[in-house]
Amino acid sequence: MLELRGVSKAFAGPVLRDVTLQVPKGCLYGLVGPGASGKSVLLKLLVGLLKPDAGRILVAGEDVTDLDEIQLHRVRQRFGFLFQNYALFDFLTVGENIAFPLRQLGLTDEDELVRRVAERLQAVALSGFEARAPGGLSGGQKKRVGVARATVTRAEVVLYDEPAAGLDPVTSQKIFDLLAREQREAGATVLMVSSDVARLLTVTDRVGMLYKGRLIFDGTTEEALGSRHPVVKQFLHGEPDGPI
Amino acid sequence: MASPTDRSSPPREESLAEELGREVLSVAAQAGGMTVLALRLLRRLFPPRVDGPELLRNLHKMGVRSLPIVGVTALFTGAIMVIQAGVLIRRYGADGLLGWGAGFAILREVGPILIALMFSGRVGANTTAELGTMTVTEQIDALSTLAIDPLSYLVLPRVLAMVAMLFILTIYGDALALVGAAFTGQGLLGIGARTFFNGLVEMVKAWDLINGLIKSVGFGVIIAVASTYYGLSVTGGAPGVGRAVNAGVVASATGIFITDYFSTYILR
Repeated sequence: MLELRGVSKAFAGPVLRDVTLQVPKGCLYGLVGPGASGKSVLLKLLVGLLKPDAGRILVAGEDVTDLDEIQLHRVRQRFGFLFQNYALFDFLTVGENIAFPLRQLGLTDEDELVRRVAERLQAVALSGFEARAPGGLSGGQKKRVGVARATVTRAEVVLYDEPAAGLDPVTSQKIFDLLAREQREAGATVLMVSSDVARLLTVTDRVGMLYKGRLIFDGTTEEALGSRHPVVKQFLHGEPDGPI
Repeated sequence: MASPTDRSSPPREESLAEELGREVLSVAAQAGGMTVLALRLLRRLFPPRVDGPELLRNLHKMGVRSLPIVGVTALFTGAIMVIQAGVLIRRYGADGLLGWGAGFAILREVGPILIALMFSGRVGANTTAELGTMTVTEQIDALSTLAIDPLSYLVLPRVLAMVAMLFILTIYGDALALVGAAFTGQGLLGIGARTFFNGLVEMVKAWDLINGLIKSVGFGVIIAVASTYYGLSVTGGAPGVGRAVNAGVVASATGIFITDYFSTYILR
């Protein structure tokens, strides 16, 4: 469903180096790696917010690398995206934030919009929050509203950037369980970036690890946990001694 | 002894020429960035691709809420001009020239430029902060991923509202500055309002008013492009927003004076 072929990207220095990665349709793929290893950049490349310096990016078999902004709009309608900093629109209420992607897809029936928003808020345990302003919510609540917005269109592909960053352990586990349940119900292809490796691996089908801009591991969750690669082993098991 | 490749040797100090060159390149890059943004916005006007409700919201926010500050500034500007001119008016007994002098200066120069600077400080800075915050909190990226063009949805309505509202506020400010000048002439110099307005109507030409209003459109474009450009270019979180607001206000003020110089020369 998602494919990167030899993708490289640099800013002041190289961020991604010759990354080749495939995420099969319907898979919940976890992407891990130390800070500044290029995980968020990879997500932004997939939706065209950034352009690769080299390599190709394919979505459902279509090469989207060189599409212009107008052409990218069509591709982006297949995506849901949860940003690391929630990216809730502070000029809209919680309900309007969640309804926003539906309106962009042309849904104008107000009753249907209200129903869909209420259903999403119930799914993230925030029923009755429709009229609240994003600024008045806690970090965990903002994250859950972000999840509701990212999943409201039942997009084919959903990208999550650090869905549990900054949350307490209980809320983190609830968020991961919620995302996994959403993925199973919608049959979506999910690519999830998280530093909370222990909880991430409880929900993933496959795992990839980026290290210094290179994809050094790509396999099933079981294979990842049993990997003998010194960097993968140290990172996934949180060992203090090792090459990292 | 330290060899040329010795990593422990202190970093070489930048020469004045290098520092100057770097600054020139930086200014050129920013001017280039603003030009590219202006062209991209222009492209979205043919055919118009602008969010109507967002445009109306900004017209209200930028225009109506600026009325008090522009009004106070304009009233005092008119008054100050009469205080300054009062000495000469008294010395030469040129009461009839007060309306012309105040009107000519206010309509052509002082009104548009001071109102533009106030507008830049209030509306331009607010726009940079607003867009900058949206940039660092990834709201601009979120719009893009929802297949919405941020330039059409967020930036163009603000740019159009700023240009339109500065034009309207200049007319409003010019009128209040003249009222302030007339009142001060009466109170300070004993020159009646009729004498003041007779001098104004007889000697000030329609072109003087139009001249100032043409300038206000130019100033509006400068403020709008500079404030939105710096808002969209923010990096480095909350401190970056502060730096962007500062840079936006400085660039707007510089742009206003440069535009004023050339437009005064061309429209003289």
